[in-house]
Amino acid sequence: MSDAVTCGWFDARVVTGAHPASLQPATDRDAVAAHLDRFELSGALVSAMASWLHDPIGGNAEASALAHSLADRGVLACWSAVPATPGELDSLTELVERAVDEGVAAFRIHPASHGFAPGLLDELYAALQANRLPLCIDAAEITWPELTAIATRYPELPIVISNLGYRKLRELWAALDGHTNIYVDLVDFAAHQGVEWLAANDLADRLLFATGFGLRDPGESVVRLAWSGLDDATVRLVGADTASRLFSGGRS
Amino acid sequence: MIGRRPTHRIIDVHAHLGPYSLFYIPDPDAATMVAVMDLTGTAVTVLSANRAIQQDAHLGNSQSLAAVDAHPGRIAAYAVINPWQDPERELERLAADERFVGIKVHPSLHRYPVTGARYAAVWEFAESTGCPVLSHSEHQSAYDAPAMFQTVAERYPGAAVMLGHAGITPAGVAEAIEAASRYESLWLEVCGSQMTGPMISAMVEQVGSGRVLFGSDFPFIDQRMSLGRVVCAPLTESQRQDVLSGNARKLFRWRPLPGERGVDDE
Repeated sequence: MSDAVTCGWFDARVVTGAHPASLQPATDRDAVAAHLDRFELSGALVSAMASWLHDPIGGNAEASALAHSLADRGVLACWSAVPATPGELDSLTELVERAVDEGVAAFRIHPASHGFAPGLLDELYAALQANRLPLCIDAAEITWPELTAIATRYPELPIVISNLGYRKLRELWAALDGHTNIYVDLVDFAAHQGVEWLAANDLADRLLFATGFGLRDPGESVVRLAWSGLDDATVRLVGADTASRLFSGGRS
Repeated sequence: MIGRRPTHRIIDVHAHLGPYSLFYIPDPDAATMVAVMDLTGTAVTVLSANRAIQQDAHLGNSQSLAAVDAHPGRIAAYAVINPWQDPERELERLAADERFVGIKVHPSLHRYPVTGARYAAVWEFAESTGCPVLSHSEHQSAYDAPAMFQTVAERYPGAAVMLGHAGITPAGVAEAIEAASRYESLWLEVCGSQMTGPMISAMVEQVGSGRVLFGSDFPFIDQRMSLGRVVCAPLTESQRQDVLSGNARKLFRWRPLPGERGVDDE
């Protein structure tokens, strides 16, 4: 095993902004930069806490502002979307077009938190698929049948599940086995030997390193992958290579 | 940078063994657990079988002993005492079998309050022998909320009790810290899905680094999740080593844990 393989990972989930009920350090620009330094990361995908917990569309500006200020560090923005609703959002297609113009690398949706059915976002999924932008979603925000329905209807749309917890391997397996466009990141991917189990079943290329910095303790995912039972090549695949392939940006 | 090899000597005081009905656990056997321990620098793990906490204390305790026999020097066992399943019999078994080094109780799963009379024999045994007790603790639980352990500590000041998960939630951790600050017989164990390094740091700051213990809940949850929080927590190296293994060596004196085997010896 080589220690060098633990450098240059891409953190596929960072959240900027304050959380109202968590003892977490601030995740402003300087904190994200320090996070990149501390773990020698090659970059990160950043969404805004405000998009999740306050203003879904308006909060996207905070993600982009941070991404722009750390663009030279490989930081990319992830925007949030809600169904087109008069007064809130005119068009999902236009939102994605605007995101592509601004260099946004992925979208995140929060159907449970934002009170809508995932089926109301077909326009978004089609636009993301056309622009090769991944869709990110927390496991608690969607049901497995809803998730797999999206994956089936949009087979070229990469879907990254986050915050899986430790109790969902039965459902995860069914989703991964039946849909080559579903991925899972390491934020709270807490099942004992879950990483090694997926790799042993030839699904290491569906795993992405991510810490959830801003929501979770980044030490969880860092140590989980660094001290995993994976060989160096697979650590590099999970740590950086799959993210590099998925988050190359729209129209690239 | 975190390299691929661990740099600390670790004792895991909160672990399990075997399958669990509510969700699938890959390879929850003792051999795989020891293989994980080799990757993480864990010298010794103290475990209670999932079967013992979930369904049958007596049969599960036998599984724990089999794991000790299969991996002497690496695994030690708690005897699970279920207040509904002949606790006196299991306490007699614990007293007679030196492979058990502590007691595990799970009031939430067994739906009986930690302050109830059916647990009295546990606390009396712990107080009279020095046998440490690990209990599940959970914020706002009717069975094992952290504040309830103050009653146990008041009644049985000589019983060393580890509050597993230290209350689990941020508010639960605050309550556990308050309880442990008042009673020196209460220890805080750090595993839990909502735990963070700053919360562990708060425990150390307010209770002192001498009564905070590393545990992981593995294979219920992967060991590296809890370990990563401690390894990366804002602690001094001295405090970190206390949490990762030093305090466990101090606490488990009734039947000492297997000898100092860790990354330094390999």
